Amino acid sequence: MNKSRKHAQLSEFWRRYKKNKTAVMGLILLVIIVGMALFADLIVPYEKCIEQVGADRLQGPSMAHFFGTDEFGRDLFARVVHGSRYSLLIGLATSLMALAIGAVLGASAGYFGGVVDNVISRIIDVFMCVPPVLLSLAVVAALGTNLRNLIIAITVSCIPGNVRLIRSVVLTTAEQDYVEAAKSYGTSNARIIFRYVLPNAMGPIIVNTTMSISTMMLSAAGLSFIGMGIQPPSPEWGALLSNAQTYLFVAPYMLLFPGIFILLSSMAFNLVGDGLTDALDPKLKD
Amino acid sequence: MTEILLEVKNLKKYFKTPSGMLHAVDDVSFSIPKGKTLGVVGESGCGKSTLGRTALQLYEPTGGEILFHGQNIANLSKKEFRQVRTKMQMIFQDPYSSLNGRMTVRQLIAEPLIVNKVCKNRKEIEERVTKIMDTVGLANRLSMAYPHELDGGRRQRIGVARALVLEPEFVVCDEPVSALDVSIQAQILNLLMDLQDQMGFTYLFITHDLSVVKHISDEIMVMYLGKCVEYASASEMFKNPVHPYTKALLGSIPIPSVESCHKKRQLIQGEVTSPVNPKPGCRFAARCPHATERCRQGDIPLREITPGHFAACHLI
Amino acid sequence: MDERIKDEILKIEDLSIQYKTDLETVYAVNGISFSLKQGETMGLVGETGAGKTTTALAVLGLLAERTAKVTSGRVLFEGQDVCKMSEHELQRLRGEKISMIFQDPMTALNPVLTVGEQIGEALYLHNEQELSKKEIDRKVEETLEMVGIPRERKSEYPYQFSGGMRQRVVIAIALVCNPKLLIADEPTTALDVTIQAQILTMICDLQRKYGTSVIMITHDLGVVAETCDKVGIMYAGEIVEYGTLADIFTGDCHHPYTEGLFGSIPSLTEDARRLHPIEGLMPDPTELPEGCKFAPRCTKCMEICKTCQPGVWEKNGHQIQCHRFTENGEVKR
Repeated sequence: MNKSRKHAQLSEFWRRYKKNKTAVMGLILLVIIVGMALFADLIVPYEKCIEQVGADRLQGPSMAHFFGTDEFGRDLFARVVHGSRYSLLIGLATSLMALAIGAVLGASAGYFGGVVDNVISRIIDVFMCVPPVLLSLAVVAALGTNLRNLIIAITVSCIPGNVRLIRSVVLTTAEQDYVEAAKSYGTSNARIIFRYVLPNAMGPIIVNTTMSISTMMLSAAGLSFIGMGIQPPSPEWGALLSNAQTYLFVAPYMLLFPGIFILLSSMAFNLVGDGLTDALDPKLKD
Repeated sequence: MTEILLEVKNLKKYFKTPSGMLHAVDDVSFSIPKGKTLGVVGESGCGKSTLGRTALQLYEPTGGEILFHGQNIANLSKKEFRQVRTKMQMIFQDPYSSLNGRMTVRQLIAEPLIVNKVCKNRKEIEERVTKIMDTVGLANRLSMAYPHELDGGRRQRIGVARALVLEPEFVVCDEPVSALDVSIQAQILNLLMDLQDQMGFTYLFITHDLSVVKHISDEIMVMYLGKCVEYASASEMFKNPVHPYTKALLGSIPIPSVESCHKKRQLIQGEVTSPVNPKPGCRFAARCPHATERCRQGDIPLREITPGHFAACHLI
Repeated sequence: MDERIKDEILKIEDLSIQYKTDLETVYAVNGISFSLKQGETMGLVGETGAGKTTTALAVLGLLAERTAKVTSGRVLFEGQDVCKMSEHELQRLRGEKISMIFQDPMTALNPVLTVGEQIGEALYLHNEQELSKKEIDRKVEETLEMVGIPRERKSEYPYQFSGGMRQRVVIAIALVCNPKLLIADEPTTALDVTIQAQILTMICDLQRKYGTSVIMITHDLGVVAETCDKVGIMYAGEIVEYGTLADIFTGDCHHPYTEGLFGSIPSLTEDARRLHPIEGLMPDPTELPEGCKFAPRCTKCMEICKTCQPGVWEKNGHQIQCHRFTENGEVKR
């Protein structure tokens, strides 16, 4: 019975999600991009993106190279396809980690208030004083450059903003009468935070998280640009983009294709995020 | 003599504010016999809601004792207190904001059972929820609905069901009908009174509406700025009010009959002053038409005017 | 009451208003008619969703343009149809000839302007007599004293005022242009009883002094009894009973809904263990029942009530829209 109810809730959720046409479009787009990342090796072998062909340097798009080639004669199509792995991984992993940590810290600060709030908020204030890029740089410099450390670095730079946002929405939600009602029949604080406060504060949090995915990809690009991120020759959209700047007037297509993919994927995440917010809110039912 | 279920002695609740100590509840005592209703009336800011919440230990009292079945609940261990908490519940004013909009009706009502772990299994929870929904007049087909899909009266029935599903002995009703339309208000009042007759609940009924409090209460306490100014049985209070504030309050109610058309009334001037760092003496002195120098010196204790009728005023 | 002029200042004829959205149509007001004379106070009583506020907004021409539609009828203010006025004409009408007091004094004032500025605002906007700044200032001070606020407080901000005082400011704003018609939408619902008594007394005094007509929208029959000359009981967008205060509050010819309303109020004078509420709920305004709108909740419902819209029974101006009094448009008793 429990299982069938869960099932019913899921199908109900899907029914409501389906109603939002743009959200469905976003989902399709997202499936395509994620599919591309998962099956990158089937689409085009990895060797193609590191293989340097001297004769094919800075070629425009053609049948041989769909997206053209870069300054070393590497196939850009292959680099974009394989780059999606790094970019999506960085975008998703950093956003979700920042969300999880931000939710715990922000919700504790907003819900408990007093000393807890003071301690968390003051620490966050200190972090807010440092520009995010500098913060990431410091972390990478301290830990060394590899993918894991890059993800940690970007996550750290994003946490302060998340904590601030979640704290403020939790502050207003925690004042609602239903929270007091929950206390009156003896609900524990953890249950109140996870069953009452966070679900009702979810809207802005989801929007912020999906928006941050594309920002994260771009900060990874920034770090790659100054040599602190993904190391060449590994492809990554942001790195491709910053690399293309040098050849902006000679080979604008080099900028175009990675740019389009960053745009499309961030759009897909935003649309899906909006759709989720609406579909999860029972007030917007039907 | 019936058993006293809840006794409150010299209860105080102060809040710290930037401008000083806010005396929300200041030295209030009362006792409620089992199965009876004590009505608490007063204007906004008189501390009536704080009184209800402090009696339930939602706020830590600044001073005083709360005895439930003769036992001081402040001295209980955490585990014992959880036990007592299931026996003391609350119905909230606003049926719109007091229900978590992300839960269905059934989940909302089952929540107290789940968090207090009073049921052995899911089936027992389902049974008790179904039973209480039936008792408060919520159709079973509504169990999967969300509160925003329902009207105010039905939502308040959910609020009542949620408070009563644990089968409490004592229920604090904090303005349970003031957000509702009159015809719905009457339905809920009838429901509360029927349930009291059937199951012997004891109510602390907080309201600003004097006609409602007269209807439902056995005894009435009038509060002004954190102090109890008059305490008497319901009929005595309305027949024989003695405190100037009670008189003014009763005189201010618009009465739905032709005689009240364009009549001249006794009005009290001014508005409720701030309960922050109150001056000694009668709190009502600033608005009282009969106030003398004596009213502004020293606190005025409640005196028994006639048996069972108490008032805090020098002039009686 | 002032007997000098007894002109009809407002006349509403068969007014119907619908709110249309993509998904549904809300039948907010369904064919109401009433008229108001100079200096009279009319009470519109009903529960949430009865169409009281929509009616008031229609009189002010303030209905939301995109969704609300007047489907039939007219609102004649001094003989002119408000529904046909241009936005410019409406702006001159509002504030100058018709004012409105809203329910919540806490949100009706702009927190960054002093109360004096807010009261003066209407005068600047409708400065017909070309008053100088000084004259406007003096008028603002007079108005403040009229509503019982010392003139020195005009340079204070709304947060420095308590709830009752703010409602006085709201009333001062509404009255500063000496409007002919004042619409008070639940003016005291958010206030305490002792303050409510002060405000109601003040509105009545000012009305008698200036001969303003008032539409008092409320759900409280007590407030109606103390302030109104005429009463319209609204239910599901219709005026089901209309008459003088005495017609509604006395006698035994009443619409069942009116009886239900009175049965729902706990009495202060009598002891009754049980109240007699109206069972059931207001009908969904998107799917109103056929026939009498009150039929599903009515204890005296007959077969005809379920299918046929009742006509209006009338006796000396006392109107009741119920089949128990009429049959095929004919008066039964």
